[in-house]
Amino acid sequence: HPSTRAGAGQDVGRSCILVSIAGKNVMLDCGMHMGFSDDRRFPDFSYITRSGRLTDFLDCVIISHFHLDHCGALPYFSEMVGYDGPIYMTQPTQAICPILLEDYRKIAVDKKGEANFFTSQMIKDCMKKVVAVHLHQTVQVDDELEIKAYYAGHVLGAAMFQIKVGSESVVYTGDYNMTPDRHLGAAWIDKCRPNLLITESTYATTIRDSKRCRERDFLKKVHETVERGGKVLIPVFALGRAQELCILLETFWERMDLKAPIYFSTGLTEKANHYYKLFIPWTNQKIRKTFVQRNMFEFKHIKAFDRAFADSPGPMVVFATPGMLHAGQSLQIFRKWAGNEKNMVIMPGYCVQGTVGHKILSGQRKLEMEGRQVLEVKMQVEYMSFSAHADAKGIMQLVGQAEPENVLLVHGEAKKMEFLKQKIEQEFRVSCYMPANGETVTLPTSPSIPVGISLGLLKREMAQGLLPDSKKPRLLHGILIMKDSNFRLVSSEQALKELGLAEHQLRFTCRVHLHDTRKEQETAVRVYSHLKSVLKDHCVQHLPDGSVTVESILIQAAAHSEDPGTKVLLVSWTYQDEELGSYLTSLLKKGLPQAS
Amino acid sequence: GSSLLLLQENPCLVELLFHVLKSQDLSSRILSFSLRLAGIFAAQENCFQYLQQGELLPMLFGEVGPLGGAAWTAPAVRSGWIQGLRTLAQHPSALRFLAACGAVDTIFSLQGDPSLFVASAAGQLLVHILDLAMRGPAEGHRSPQACDWPACAQKIVGHIEDSLCSTAVPQVTQALSVLTTAFGHCHGLWTQGLWVRLSPLVARLLEKDPVPASHSLVDLLLSVARSAPSSYRGLWETLAQTLSHLSPTQAGPLALGILKLQDCPQALRTQAFGILLQPLACVLEAAAQAPGPPGLLEGAAGNSMTVDTLLSSKSACVGLLCCALAHLGLLQPLPQRPSPWPQAPLLGAAVTILRLCSGSAAPTSDVGSRLCAILVGCGRVQRAALDFLGALSQGTGPQELVTQVFSVLLEYLVSPESSSMVLKKAFQATLRWLLSSPKTPGCCDLDPHTQLFLRELLPVLQKRLCSPCWEVRDSGLEFLTQMTRHWGGQAGFRQALLASEVPELTKQLLRDPESYVRASAVTATGQLSSWGLCATPASPECPGAQQSLLVELLHILSTDSEGFPRRAVMQVFTEWLRDGHADVAEDAERFVAGVLQAASRDLDWEVRAQGLELALVFLEQLLGQRGSRCPYAVALPETAPPGVLAQALQVLCRVQLFEFAFRALFDCDRPVAQKSCDLLLFLRAKAAPCGSPQEAGDSPNMASVEATLQRWQAGEQGQPLGYLEPGAVVALLRSVDLEGLRDTLAESSDHVEKSPQSLLQDMLAAVGVLGENEADCY
Repeated sequence: HPSTRAGAGQDVGRSCILVSIAGKNVMLDCGMHMGFSDDRRFPDFSYITRSGRLTDFLDCVIISHFHLDHCGALPYFSEMVGYDGPIYMTQPTQAICPILLEDYRKIAVDKKGEANFFTSQMIKDCMKKVVAVHLHQTVQVDDELEIKAYYAGHVLGAAMFQIKVGSESVVYTGDYNMTPDRHLGAAWIDKCRPNLLITESTYATTIRDSKRCRERDFLKKVHETVERGGKVLIPVFALGRAQELCILLETFWERMDLKAPIYFSTGLTEKANHYYKLFIPWTNQKIRKTFVQRNMFEFKHIKAFDRAFADSPGPMVVFATPGMLHAGQSLQIFRKWAGNEKNMVIMPGYCVQGTVGHKILSGQRKLEMEGRQVLEVKMQVEYMSFSAHADAKGIMQLVGQAEPENVLLVHGEAKKMEFLKQKIEQEFRVSCYMPANGETVTLPTSPSIPVGISLGLLKREMAQGLLPDSKKPRLLHGILIMKDSNFRLVSSEQALKELGLAEHQLRFTCRVHLHDTRKEQETAVRVYSHLKSVLKDHCVQHLPDGSVTVESILIQAAAHSEDPGTKVLLVSWTYQDEELGSYLTSLLKKGLPQAS
Repeated sequence: GSSLLLLQENPCLVELLFHVLKSQDLSSRILSFSLRLAGIFAAQENCFQYLQQGELLPMLFGEVGPLGGAAWTAPAVRSGWIQGLRTLAQHPSALRFLAACGAVDTIFSLQGDPSLFVASAAGQLLVHILDLAMRGPAEGHRSPQACDWPACAQKIVGHIEDSLCSTAVPQVTQALSVLTTAFGHCHGLWTQGLWVRLSPLVARLLEKDPVPASHSLVDLLLSVARSAPSSYRGLWETLAQTLSHLSPTQAGPLALGILKLQDCPQALRTQAFGILLQPLACVLEAAAQAPGPPGLLEGAAGNSMTVDTLLSSKSACVGLLCCALAHLGLLQPLPQRPSPWPQAPLLGAAVTILRLCSGSAAPTSDVGSRLCAILVGCGRVQRAALDFLGALSQGTGPQELVTQVFSVLLEYLVSPESSSMVLKKAFQATLRWLLSSPKTPGCCDLDPHTQLFLRELLPVLQKRLCSPCWEVRDSGLEFLTQMTRHWGGQAGFRQALLASEVPELTKQLLRDPESYVRASAVTATGQLSSWGLCATPASPECPGAQQSLLVELLHILSTDSEGFPRRAVMQVFTEWLRDGHADVAEDAERFVAGVLQAASRDLDWEVRAQGLELALVFLEQLLGQRGSRCPYAVALPETAPPGVLAQALQVLCRVQLFEFAFRALFDCDRPVAQKSCDLLLFLRAKAAPCGSPQEAGDSPNMASVEATLQRWQAGEQGQPLGYLEPGAVVALLRSVDLEGLRDTLAESSDHVEKSPQSLLQDMLAAVGVLGENEADCY
């Protein structure tokens, strides 16, 4: 009984879903929990198999995109827990993953007692196990299991995956975005009608305020700060939002004719350019066009940052890495500027617990920095989400596109998911599930199994004057042969021949006792005339040897060895006529009508 | 006592719990928290009694509580309920309570909970309760018959018995996993009685076909066998029976587990080993062209069950072979592995499997050709077989077989069909075999076979270094680095390498588009150069070929946009300095100055940390080794003689090591600051006798330096320190509170966050900020 099973969560922590489909086991994403810094940050893989080897159990791992809550536990899983099988992700994800994992490792190493954390070498070894997939390319994991990636928007290289075994399939969306933004296009998928669609539901209820609103808000904050002579620090991750915000500021500066300098952290432009050049097909059309004309990071107003600039007086805007203020340039600048209330830091992304970014976002104003000093944060701290997730409308749109038989919601909060679940069930009339973390959902599927029909059998059918017609299903009798995982329907004669078997006739017999003092022959005649009158549609015959037949059913009358007043009727029939045979027996058991 | 006091002095706590019970629209998290909190309090018997006076516990954990309500549908609540009971169940009163309020029945049903976490916790809780009930004064005297067991234990064991007899597999699985936990975690004498009572039921599972919940059954038997096998009667017989009843795939993990046991009857070991060997024996037999050398298993080679599994389907065949290879590979290095170890047939099997996978073996037998069709091109089996082959390099084999090993490895390294992971494993296995190949007695050079192999290998490596796939180039470079590290001094290796284009290609890879490859190329060229094997033959026109590598690496250090190559350069430089590489030794001072300058500007913390490592090596060369690295060592590092010290300080000032180290001391990356602190402490200890504190301390120069340092500490690192006199340095070292800094730095970066005050701050802040932040990941 094939089934599709998934363990997932109502949680925006880490994503790690296990799908069993037609005997194949696939792990979807392998994320760490952004909120925990202890054992709980990684999924507990011992739930998958207690003592067996993971490599034997799992057929493959698929990573949807490079965010840590989707790939953060991967090196731990592949290099420390010991999974040695294939890992699939898109090429940009493979290229960018190590950068984030290194950032993450840094944060962990920084803490005490993190000796048992993955090393740089492990991150590299893990990345070497990756098999990069292209969009819309069907990848054959093994003879039965195939996967296919679709564009998901969200971040550079993010993909949705279709997992297919035979006629059964699951689609996993990862995080996605149904509206194009400044640097990425919208998610898109075939009408692939999977048995199950597993979709994120981060913004399950919000029909998000227009993106333009958030952009305006961002520009207003930056502008105000610069106007009153303050400095704005925007800690960014090398890719993604950074480019979007740069394009935004550049346009705004141009229109408002602003003079305050904007800087981009050292090495960042080269790196970003490098990746965008590599992965230009993954961006949106507008960027693709621009890129042909000019280097997309040759901005008029945005220049490379030098360490010394941080001390110069007057307003400025600086984009600096890393995005969580845990090290490097962004942290250095933050330390310099934190004490002045005129300044502002805008955090455009999520921060891992324990980082300076996380601390200031959770409202801490006195930070204990290295070297025993306390840094008082007087500058303004703003959090702005530009995260590109699908909202309720987008999720509904995707469900409409893919036309799944069932929907499973993950990566969201229970209450919001409940709302969406009802909406989906109403509108699409499909079942919708929202398992809690650690819960298993089992879905029965009815896979169509192809069966070959032998020519002989078909010809026999045709001989009856009926041409095969897909619109009119018909009953066809034959023998089903299962051999070498092939299914064939053949005539019984052919089956006997192929399998080298002799034919046996199976007959059922039954004795019916009748109270009749006459001779056997006369009893037979009475039976004959009785049956002849009752069974008008059947061929009832009285044979010369005295026996009576109805179709294949044979009835003989015999004398009873002990009781001369009783006759015994021997009824026998083939299994094909089982129905008629039992009917006849019960009929005869009621006795014969009195001779009139 | 303290908990009771807490409850008595703060009646609000009990009020809170009552309030939770009354409240209608409560979040599941708060309810879950309350249940756990109540459990913590009730863990102490007097507190338990106190809470019982108010009948609070039945209301929380009994049927009238959340158990019956709508809240129960939330897994968090069920989980909280279990955790609460788990903490509460510590004393006899708790046991009576559990029995009275019907909790045990609820726990039974929670074993099948849709949430894995709840189901697993329920099983563990049952074991905990059972243990609590069975321990105690009467423990040793309890008979296996239930008559004198406590009621609670009887109930649980009865439930397990029923489950074991059930026809529903999930029930059997639950029972087996509870027992596994019990035998794994409880070490009381009562477990022996439990085994006597339940082992017949466990054995009866084996009579079913197929054996239900075989995975869990294996887990249980191994758990019992690992705890104290001799005290469980009939265990060995059960294990032997299980081995023979399970399918070959299911029996593998059990066989491995048995072979890992320390003491175990020889017959059982032989049986278990036979199971692991069988798949390989089948392959060997099927592939044999003619009745050849003795197989792996005399007589038993053609076990029909194993052959059936191997031929039933591709996935079954691949699964069974991979497991067998992995299990044998794990067994190979263990001291308790079976002896005699059939090294030669195993080698033969590994080689045969690899040949079947590559299609280079064409067996004539029916089974053989079927296997060949299944295995050809199968990456999973190739990877497993290469790993296994690598593991076998630890033993020896007849020369003929070893030659076959090398030839099959070469075949894989050459084959265009090999995937990048297969190539990586092939490189690793080759390295292991090369390094374990025997040295010719009386001669330190490589033996002729290896020499011959190298001549074939290097052109292949050369080709792989040009692979379009970065993973392959990287694996090739890693292989080269390892080989050079071990054989850089062997004449035969040097000859072969220099005759190839490998060194030149390696150098070209320093400009690879992929940063990981650049980093590996840096490490490889660094290693080659250490042995004087780096690129271009030193032609008379171009004597500076070696020098140019140093320049090239420095260039990478200061310009590469990715961290990995820069880190690799720093590692190479440190190694060069430590080993006295010729080009470095020529002008070590200039070298160190240049490297430190580049490293200090680097944004990557590991480059800076590695810079400190290099500085330390330099210091040690000037001043002598650091003392024992053991933090508990009492002996202080010896001070350097004054003459040497003065000279050394001059040098250190010239290379601006202090500027670098002090900057690092206030680095915003903790590991860097920590390293710098260690380095300066070492220096101060060495410099102890040098001059009196007043000498330089009062100079005007000194005041400005200290002011600069303070600014650095505050995060303003723009201003340079300027040139320092040795005297000023020593004074400075004394004036900075290095010990204090070291202690602060030793604290984890989130120690503040972990403090209660911080928790409070977070909670206060969360009231205002949360909600919006929570849902966003970038």
